[in-house]
Order: sequence, then structure tokens, then C-alpha cells
Amino acid sequence: GPPAKRQATGPDPDDMDFIEDDPSGPPEPLEDVELGEAGRNWVRPPVADFDPASTAIVFQQLEVDYYLAEPRAGVDTVPVEVKQVPVLRLFGVNAAGNSVCALVHGFEPYFLIERRPHWGADHIQALGLALNVGQELLGKAKGVGGPAVTRIEPAERRSIWNFQPPGTSTAFLKIVVSVPNLVAPARGLLEGGMSLSAVNDFVKCTTYESNVLFTLRFMVDCKVVGGNWVELPAGAYQLETARPMTHCQIEAHIRYDKLISHAPDGEYSSVAPLRIMSIDIECCGRKGCFPEAKIDPVIQIASMVSVSGKMDGPVVKNIMTLGSCASIVGAEVMSFNDEAEMLLRWRDLLVESDPDIIIGYNILNFDLPYLYERADALKIGKKFQVWGRVRGSHTRMRDGQFSSKAYGTHEYKDITIEGRVQFDLLTAIQRDHKLSSYSLNSVSAHFLGEQKEDVHHSAIADLQAGNEETRRRLAVYCLKDAYLPQRLLDKLMYTYNYIEMARVTGVPLSYLLTRGQSIKVFSQLLRKAAAKGFVIPNIKVQGPVAGADGVGYEGATVLDPKIGFYDRPVATLDFASLYPSIMMAHNLCYTTLLTKDQLNIVPPEDREQSPSGDWFVRNSRQRGLLPEILEELLAARKRAKNDLKAEKDPFKRAVLDGRQLALKVSANSVYGFTGATVGKMPCLAISASTTSYGREMIMTTRQLVQEHYTRANGYETDCEVIYGDTDSVMVNFKVADVARAMELGREAAAVVSKAFPPPVKLEFEKVYYPYLLMNKKRYAGLLWTRPETHDKMDSKGIETVRRDNCLLVRNVVTTCLERILIGKDVQGAVGYVKGVIADLLMNKIDLSLLVISKGLTQDADEYEGKIAHVELAKKMRKRDPATAPAVGDRVPYVIIKAAKGAKAWEKAEDPIYALEHSLPIDVQHYLEHHLSQPLLRIFEPVMKNPKELLCGDHTRCIAVSTPSTAAGGIMRFAKVTMSCLACKAPLPSGCKDSLCGHCKPQEAEIYSRTLGTVSELEAQYGALWTACQRCQGSLHMDVLCTSRDCPIFYRRKKVQKDLNEAMGQLDRFDATSW
Amino acid sequence: DTRFRASKRTYDRQYAQLYFSRLMLLKDVMHKRVEQLWRGVPVCSILEVQEGKEVAVIGTLYKNMKLKPSILDEYTKDRGLKAALGAANFCADDDSVVMEDDGARMVLSDWGLFLSRHTLPGTPQPRTGLVMAVRGVHEPGGDFFVSAVAFAGLAPNPYAAAALAASRPGDTYLALVSGLGLGGGRADLLATQLAADWLTGNLGSAAEQQLAAQVVRLVVAGGGIGQLEGLAGAAATAPGANPYNRSAQPVRDLDLLLAELAAALPVDVMPGPEDPANVALPQQPMHRCLFPGAASHGSLVRATNPHEFECGGVRVLGSSGQVVDDMAKYCGLRDRLDLMQRTLACRHLAPTAPDTLTCYPFTDDDPFILPATPHVYFAGNQPEFATRLVPVVVRLVAVPCFARTGTLVLLNLRTLACHPVRFDGSLGLGV
Repeated sequence: GPPAKRQATGPDPDDMDFIEDDPSGPPEPLEDVELGEAGRNWVRPPVADFDPASTAIVFQQLEVDYYLAEPRAGVDTVPVEVKQVPVLRLFGVNAAGNSVCALVHGFEPYFLIERRPHWGADHIQALGLALNVGQELLGKAKGVGGPAVTRIEPAERRSIWNFQPPGTSTAFLKIVVSVPNLVAPARGLLEGGMSLSAVNDFVKCTTYESNVLFTLRFMVDCKVVGGNWVELPAGAYQLETARPMTHCQIEAHIRYDKLISHAPDGEYSSVAPLRIMSIDIECCGRKGCFPEAKIDPVIQIASMVSVSGKMDGPVVKNIMTLGSCASIVGAEVMSFNDEAEMLLRWRDLLVESDPDIIIGYNILNFDLPYLYERADALKIGKKFQVWGRVRGSHTRMRDGQFSSKAYGTHEYKDITIEGRVQFDLLTAIQRDHKLSSYSLNSVSAHFLGEQKEDVHHSAIADLQAGNEETRRRLAVYCLKDAYLPQRLLDKLMYTYNYIEMARVTGVPLSYLLTRGQSIKVFSQLLRKAAAKGFVIPNIKVQGPVAGADGVGYEGATVLDPKIGFYDRPVATLDFASLYPSIMMAHNLCYTTLLTKDQLNIVPPEDREQSPSGDWFVRNSRQRGLLPEILEELLAARKRAKNDLKAEKDPFKRAVLDGRQLALKVSANSVYGFTGATVGKMPCLAISASTTSYGREMIMTTRQLVQEHYTRANGYETDCEVIYGDTDSVMVNFKVADVARAMELGREAAAVVSKAFPPPVKLEFEKVYYPYLLMNKKRYAGLLWTRPETHDKMDSKGIETVRRDNCLLVRNVVTTCLERILIGKDVQGAVGYVKGVIADLLMNKIDLSLLVISKGLTQDADEYEGKIAHVELAKKMRKRDPATAPAVGDRVPYVIIKAAKGAKAWEKAEDPIYALEHSLPIDVQHYLEHHLSQPLLRIFEPVMKNPKELLCGDHTRCIAVSTPSTAAGGIMRFAKVTMSCLACKAPLPSGCKDSLCGHCKPQEAEIYSRTLGTVSELEAQYGALWTACQRCQGSLHMDVLCTSRDCPIFYRRKKVQKDLNEAMGQLDRFDATSW
Repeated sequence: DTRFRASKRTYDRQYAQLYFSRLMLLKDVMHKRVEQLWRGVPVCSILEVQEGKEVAVIGTLYKNMKLKPSILDEYTKDRGLKAALGAANFCADDDSVVMEDDGARMVLSDWGLFLSRHTLPGTPQPRTGLVMAVRGVHEPGGDFFVSAVAFAGLAPNPYAAAALAASRPGDTYLALVSGLGLGGGRADLLATQLAADWLTGNLGSAAEQQLAAQVVRLVVAGGGIGQLEGLAGAAATAPGANPYNRSAQPVRDLDLLLAELAAALPVDVMPGPEDPANVALPQQPMHRCLFPGAASHGSLVRATNPHEFECGGVRVLGSSGQVVDDMAKYCGLRDRLDLMQRTLACRHLAPTAPDTLTCYPFTDDDPFILPATPHVYFAGNQPEFATRLVPVVVRLVAVPCFARTGTLVLLNLRTLACHPVRFDGSLGLGV
């Protein structure tokens, strides 16, 4: 049949997080993908023979979706006229490594409404009739056959919203529709209001659980959680062998109520051998432009397939190249003359190797969309875009937008690859880690301790245009770029962590990266509500609920810091899981919230008012759902942590560690869910109460500690709370001994904990000694958890990671902190800072330390106003369009000296250009705008007059380099004459001597000095270039890398230039006195 | 010396060219060697290696060493925990070895195991930059299992027949000294002066003066200037200090000493690690203006490092020791003579350059390749005196550091016999 037309209308912007999932179209006629001569590792292990009547199929599902199909005998029971029913597909892998697809039949989409007391059977009938005759549903139900609403049945439920006193109606109606995309229009009708002409009534009501995705609905009702093991019991399924719908090795049909879902515990907590394919493509761009799929060809595709849990590297390393390519040891090279042919072969390999997860670096926004669009440009889209597991099903791509409070808003390409999970390492790392740069190079330097060779996209065209050797060069680079994401995945244990997160929160794996935090809480809430007979209303939130400007309530509190340098151990007392424990202790939930007019129905001893003024019923009266969810999460985390301690096997440890982390994150996101004003279920009464309790607790803690630990109570000294933030309090017990401070800290934690209802618990975690408190959220100190030695240096809010700082600032700040805190040597730190400032002014600082970089997020011409890096990008484009930064690149720059009164944006210059033309660096700018603030902050608490760092003797010696004549400006009018190398006195023209007559007697000394410079540079030259050779992994080929993220990139260039200059000077001696 | 001299040095090139020329220049030699050693084993490039088939491959060796210091450490590692520089040995058990030819590289598996089973005295140790051949089988999965290795072997000595006329009447001597260390913390000025006086014939009895008279040439194998140890620590850490800037006084002292010696006999002076010359190998002769006094004597030869010359029909090649010291750091061997012998056996003076030893980025030449084996090969600034005669008649001499040992070495140009002469300048003051 023809592919089903999908809805043209975009999703409702309010529903961003809960877009109705599209059903896939029915499969097109079977088209067997031509399987080429596959290498021995390409394919999955063969399926062992089994008898469906006696063998169960047990597998770990990773991806769930649904499609519409004709009813199938034996598993679907519908009236004969129905032509289409929704069928769920569970894709996954069994323990033997075979891919499995379970087709689950018979599960019906539904939602609920409240049943009015006066509604009888005729009312219900009229309701069904009214829904079925309306154009809204009829139009959509066309082709499905049968009525849109198949039945309406009564149900016993309670609403989750507000406390439901005894006697509240629990009568609900469950409206079952034939296909999932009828839920939305039916909901629209009921919420918008419609008349029931048969009984002469009008209905306009809130719908319940009408915003739950069909797949999630199924998972909740069948207790399937993301990435868990499911079982098709022996004899209960029909094995599909004749007309398989998917490329999976095992395919079976089953009724939804026969499916067994295993909780991820015990033997079912393991992870199946998943096949993970990492890809990277290279494109051949035109000079000066970022590659565009419509014009620029894909020239190489690297694919690596590895199996999770197998340590010995990828099982497949393949590279496909356009044009011949010399062979590469350990990798399979396939060369093509025709781009379309290459793309099609890659599609075949994708299908043959049948990965469960597709990973890469920035694949969601670059590699995959590029391949997709490129195929359209080559007019092979229909043939090529078949990446999923469903035979003949066309992969779809559309623009998506992702919006979340935690991760911000960004656009992305939403590509549906049926049955395969897409996992972009870039997205994951951006979410989970704060780094100064997210280029693959700096990410691998950070996590793997390796620099990566970076070939500029302008160099790619040259390599491609060369011979098979240069293309091989490119291929090696491309393979490495495919391998690194794989290693990052392993190193960061993402497979385990994300599967565990999916299991804990119950959402499919793919939601974790493409959706926000709230769907996870929503899924848990749904499950909990379902178990307790609650239902969740679909509440339309119109703008912020309380307060104006989106700031609905007061956040956490920060105690005023007592700024200073503490040479005594400072104990830190933390509330463990502050917000979750508050919610548990005070029973904060939707189901326990009392409205103002409900106060009289609950006796005062059964309710409690939060500091923010809202009332909640106490635990004794009714346990809230959220506290219960939290309790389970935290209890599970405790178990996982205990298991982790006992476990020896590294793989099981990885799983357990992933789980405890997922549990912690989930627990903390519950509070955020209630406070997200753009979320689905915001309830500011809950979130505002939570923070108000938190604020009160911090204040109480301060008071209790300061009252208890006094001389009057027999302690050494009066203690002092010096700082507190959100969930922690810093106490200076004014004792010299770390062990004693720890003892007091532990004691204080126990004493204070008693003042709060369980499970709130104040914990003593660590001691800072010494401790440098600079301001709110800005401090540094040595962290001690054992009295013997410190664990590490810990700093917050200091210029150590922010990327718009140059490396110099980071280095100086880190070194100063080290000297002050670890070395306890303030004088040494002062001396060091002075030395650095002197070096800076003497122009001796390595240029790469001064490079600042900012991202070019849109085309340079589209920026409004003058911004330094944007203006520079424009300038560079004029100079050489080939190497100028394109959109998406980071623009590195240095600040150079410019004419007096020049604007800041005029002073930015390309570091390479500045180097080549010896443009003087504006060191004053660096001193005043970059170094002084952080330094003053650090030194303020430790010395009397920190300003003396920035002025004084060490700032009096200044050296400025002379710009080359090519640099323009005043130098164009300068005339170059030879001068004495020592005293710079001009030499008479034509004189080839190196020194003037006056300096001649000191020739040996002056020569030695020049020679010293040469020697130092030579040593650096050797060290730098060999380091690059090692990094690129080849001795016989030139280094091509132009990674501007690499710290030695500029230095390499500078040494080369300086060395040649110095050699020139040295040669002048030879000319005269040989 | 000519091949070690570079007239105009420009640093525009990278090092790949140097490795490439090295491989190309030694490839033919290796090819012949393989045919001779492993008859019937096909030689192929790494790209042509097929799984399961025994082949021989010629390529450049590269050793991945975790402990190897890298300039990147300055940025990435914890600066507080800088690995102790100048450690004697950067080898670790899990160093992996790869071989690379002009097309590709491959991992040699179980290299450590292979070595422990097969190392015979006299076989060169694996070192980055070495051109050699391996014989073995490519295992499924990507690694190459080595069953035997081959090196270029000693180069022919074309001078052998003509030069070594043992029948020549009368013994003449070549004097070798290194590491005078003037201006350095260890300099022993009294011993130095004694040695100079003896060489110029101003010291000793008639017999000793007779011996001194037979010394026809003196080679100062680097280390004329010493390191100021006391100062080095503080000065090196001071911001902006250039460790290569030093005072001019020791150079003047050296000039005086050389002038005195050059007046009496021909003197070759080579630059060494601390001398006022560039650091990149080959080091160029020290500049004339540094030796205003000594340079006026025609008998002073300002030589390169390495230095190659002929003396009384004997072909002599030597370095100031950096090459040997550097190799000692990067392969498990300690014995300096073993290292020197292996250098000759693989026909390359400085395999670790440029990887860990700074050298000039040559483009289409590798001057460190030995086209011929000399009669004498010496290395200066070694910890102690040692010598060995290797069959095919090569005299290896480890010339000890004079400042530390007070030893100079006399080499009989007729018999190639070799013995140390010790000068003790201690007045027993400190005892």
C-alpha cells in the first residue's frame, strides 16, 4: 500500500515535551537489501534453532514504537470491519546477541474523564455517539474502519490534583479509541466543549491522562521500563518467518497481556551484548564555506562496530572512500568512484551489521542529516534513506526543537531510525559535563588524556584531490574520529548509565537525549498513580501560575559569607538530598495539597503549614505519591550503593554505579518537575514550600550550631558559621586539629539532625583546610575527608574552567591557589604572580596562553553590533576565505595594541596573523581586563594590599615587538636598516658587520647571548614537533593538524618563526668574522 | 665533517622528511641483509602484509612510551606533580612497539616477550627511529607476531686495508678528552692544568715527555664548559630564565687553555651539551669570535659534533655523547659500549633524533647514517672510561668526563690500543 500520510500540522508548542508520537507508516512491499560480501565480523551471530512451543524468547528491549497494521488473527480481537489496529514494536537483543523484534498486538489507546453524578447509561452512549459523528474524529479515523471511539467503560479512579477528602467522587469514564492519534482530537472536543444532542446536554470537562504518548501508555500499563528484559513465554507467540517485517533475526507476534516484563533486578539487571556503531563522515567543502549537503560531496564514511561488554576493541572497522585509497592495517577499506554507489553501499553495511545503537560526535546535527540531505541532492533519497530495522521503511527527517529548563532551547534534526537508538556523544557530554570547549579534540584531551589531530576543512579538499596516499591519510583521520566517540562512550560508561537511567525512570532510552527531565518524572508519577488508582489531569497551564515575570517563588538561600582566609579547618555540614528529604519529611505532593477552602475538612493535627503558607495533609492522614516515589528512589539508591561496595566484577560495578547515579539524578529532578512553569504539571505550592523549608533549615542550623558550640557549653571556643549555601553550612570550630574538627563536625551533624523530622539528615562530609572564602559561591580550599591527608584541591566559581578566559588566567589562578593552599606560601604566590606579570609585560608569555576564543553561532554578517570575534571573522574572510572561520567554528583571537582610542572590537586579531606579522600584544589589556580581577579576589583575603601585585618594580620593564612592514599602519613608512645587534645603533649602509665598532670587543658575549636564544628555541622546536608527530601517529608524514584547541599549536608556529629570526641574527656573525 | 656542516639553516620543515630519507637510504641495505639472512622469506610493505603468511617487513621502529616526557605535560598534567625530569630511564613494561614504513604502521605484538626470549648480546635494542626488518606472521586481529629481527649490520670499512699498517714504525697517539667543565661546579682546574702541561710537554720525566711527544693530535670531545650546578636550580625556576644563557668567563678560560694547547699540537674542539653552540644535532662548530686567542693558531680545528676525521691513516668518528646518553634513557641498556656497538650495528648514529633528541630537520638527507664503519668510534662525556675492540676492527671508546674522573684517553694509532691517563689534582684538602 502507499505510505500513510502523516499529519502536516506541527505539534502544539505547549506540548513540546509530550509530542504525540507519530505512528510509522505501514511497511512498503518487501525489498530485500542486497547484502554484499560481508566480512566475517559484519553480521550478528546466527540464531540457534528453537521450538516456539517450548522455548521462550527473552530479550532486552531498547526501543519501542508502534505502527498501524491490519488486524492479525490470533493476537488481535476486533470487529471485522476494522482495517487498522495499532501494533507496538519492541526492538532489542537477546543474551546470545541476536536482534529481536516483538510485535505486540491488542493494546488500545484510551484516556479518562470524570463521570458526572447524573450521567446514566444513555448519557454515556450519547457521549460516544457525539464523539464518533464529529468531523474531527471522522476525518482522522478514515481508513481505520469501525468507530473512532470503540467503547466507553466506567472506571474507579481519583484525581491526583489536590487532596481528595473522603466522599469525593471516584467515578471515571475510560474512553477507548481505535488508534492512538484519535486521542488528541477527542480530548480537544471534550475540553473545548460539545453538545450531546441525544440527551440535550453540554459537556466541557477536564480530560485525564490524555497527553500520554501511546508507547509510554503501553509501557506504564504493562510495567515495561526503558531497556529492561521482556519475555515472550513459550507457546504464547507466533514466530514470523514467512513475511518478516523487520531485518531483525527473530520476529514474533504476541498479545500484550501475554508479554512478561521483568523488573531490572537480579539476573535481569544485566545488559545484553549490544552492537554499537560509531560513524563519522568527511565532506569536501568549497573554499571558505562550511560544507553544504546540496553541493558538497561526502568523500569518506568511517564506521566502527563494537559489542558492549567486549573489551578487545571494535569488531568492525570500515572506511568507505570516494576515489582510491591505500590500504590501512586493521581496517577494511572500500573505495568507490561514484558517490551514490558509496552511499548505497554504506546503507547496506548499516543494515547488514544491524547496530542497536548508532553513536558519533555531533551526528544528530551534522553527520546523519548531511548523509540524508546529500542523498536527496543525488536523487537517491528513496533508495538510500532506509536505515531502520523495518524493511523498506523510509527514514524520516524533520526539524525539531528541544526546549528544557535544564538544557536550554536548541534546534535539531529529528531523524527517525526505526528500531535503532541514536546517541550523540556531543549532546550527552554537553548535558553532563561543564567543559571549556566541546570540540572532539578537547573532550578527548579531557577524558582520555589524548590530543587529537585536527584537519581543517580547507585542507580536506587538498587531501582528497591528491593521490591514494593523501586520501589514506584522510581515512586514518576519519577512522580515528569514529573511534574516539566509541572510547568516550566506554570511558564515561554511557551505555550503562543511560540504560540504568531508562530503567529507573521507565522511559525509553531514546527519550533520555531528545527530551527533558520532566518526562522522566512524569513517567514515574504515571506509574505510581496507576498503582494507587490515581489519574493525572491534563491541565493547560497558561503562563506562570503565581507571581509575575516567570519568577514564581523564592529560591534557595545563601548565608552572607564572612570573607577571609581561614587557616583553621572549616567543617562542612550538608543536608543529604535536601529537597527530596524535605518533600518526604513534610509529605509534599499533589495529592496532599489542601486548598484554602478545604482547611476545615481536615483537623489541624492532620495538616501542616509550610513556611511559604501552603497547607498539606500529614503523613498520618494520607501518604503523598511524590514522597513515596522519592522514598523508593532513595532506598533503591542505598541498595545499589551497598551492592556496589560488595561487587567485584567491573561490568556489574559499572551497571550498579550507573544505577545509583541515575537514582540520585531522578530524585533531585522531582522537585524541579513541580516548579517548572513551562512543564506539564507545575505546582508552585509544592516547589515554593520545598525551598521555604530549605531556607528555614539553613537558618535553624546556623542558630543551633552557634548556640551549642560555645565556651559556655564547655567547648574550646565559640564556633562561627562562616558561610552557607542551599544545602550546606560551613562551620569554623576554631580548632587547629583536623581530626578534632571532624569529630566536632560529626557531632554537630547528629545534634542538628535531631531538630528536623526524618528523613531529613544533616551530614558531615568534609573539612576544608585551609579555606579561602572570596565571595558568594566563590571559594577554594583543600578538601579533607580523612584526618591523615587532604584529598584534593576544591574550588568553586573561580576562573579555572570558564572558556572565555585565556589559558594564562587559568594557569595563574590554579598555581596561586596551589601555592597558597597546598604550599601555604603566600609570599611564593606573590612572587610567582609578579614574575608572570613581568613576563607578560616583557612579552615573554607564550602566545597560546593568551588566546581567547568565542563561537561564531551565525553568519558574521547577521550579527548586530560590533563584537570582537565577529569583526575578526569578517576581517579574516577578506584575507583568505579558505581558512576563515565558518559558522559553528570557534574564533580564536588575541588582543593587540591598536591606535589610541580604538574600540575593543578593533583590537582582536587572529593569533597566527599576529604572530607572522609580529603585531604587539596589548599586555595592559590582559593585565587589566583578564588578570587583575581574579587575582585581587584571591589575594584580598590573604594580604593587606593586593593592589601592589599590579604595580611596582616588576611592572616597569616593558618590551614590545616591532611589527613587520607588511602589517600596515605606520610601519609602511618605516625603512629597514641594519643596526648593531647589541646597542641597536644603526650601521652605515652597506656595512655587513653585525656589531658597531663600539660593541665589537664584546663580540663573544653578544654572540653567546644570541646563541642562547637559538639553543632554547631549537630545543623547543624539537620537543614541539615531535610531540605533534606522536599525536598524529605517523613518523613519515608531515603534521597537518591545525587544531586551535591544542595548546601547542600557536607555540609551534611561534617557535618556528622566532627560530628563523634568531638564526638570521646568528648568521650575521658568520658573515663578518669567519 | 662536511656532512655534519650546514651552511644555511632554516627551520621551515617538519621532521617527517628526515624519517623518510632515513628509511629510503637504508632500505636497500636492509633489503640485501634480509635476503642474505632469511633466504626465501618475501619482503613486503606493511600494506601488503597478508594474514597468516610469513613475511619480512622493513620499516622504522617506534616505541610508545608512557613515561616519555612530552611538552604537552606542561599543559595537561598536574603541574604540581611534574614527573622527575632527567630520570635515567623512561622504559616501562607496557611500552608497545610499532613499525612504520612509508605506507602504514602496525603493532608488533608481544615485543617484550620476544626480546626476553631472543635477546643476544650485541643485538640492538628497539629504539624509536631505528630502521630495521622484522620477520613474522600477521595475526588475525591486526597485530604482527615477530619471530626474528634484523638490523643493517656493520657498514663496510673501505679504509681497512690501506690504513691500518701495523707495520708502520713508531707509535703515535691520539689524545681524547671531554667534559673539562670549565666554570662548572665540578671543574678541577689543577688537574686540567696538569693535563695541559703534560700534553704540551712541560711536565713529567723524560719518559713521560717522550710519550707526550708522540701525541699527534688532541680531540676535545665536548663539555669544555661546565654546568653551574648550584645556580642551575634557582636560575631555571626564575620566570623567564633562559637556561642557555651563561656567563662569558668560562669561555674566556677555555680560549686561554685551547690557545696554550694549540700552540703545541693540533687540537680539534667539538661542541658538547653545555658548550656555546646550538643544541640541535649536528652541532655546528663553536664560533671563531668565542676563541679570539686560540683561533689565531692554525692548528685549532673547530669541529662539528659528531666529528669525523682521519688521523695517521685511521678513520675516527665520535660524538660528544648526547646520542649515547639519550639512547640510554630510552632503552633498557646501561652499558655504554653496548649502546655504541649497537649504534654501529644498525648503521645509524642517532636513531632517537629527532624524537627525543633535538636535531635539525634535514630534508633529503640523514647525515647520521653511517655509509662506512670507522676504525675508531668514541663518545665523550661518559660516566667512566671503557673500551672494547669489536671484530672487523672497530675500536670503541667511551671517553669519560674529565671533570669527574680526571682521565684523558690515549689511542695508539698503530695498534688501536687504548689506555687512560689519570691526573689527580686533589691536594688532599678536603680529606
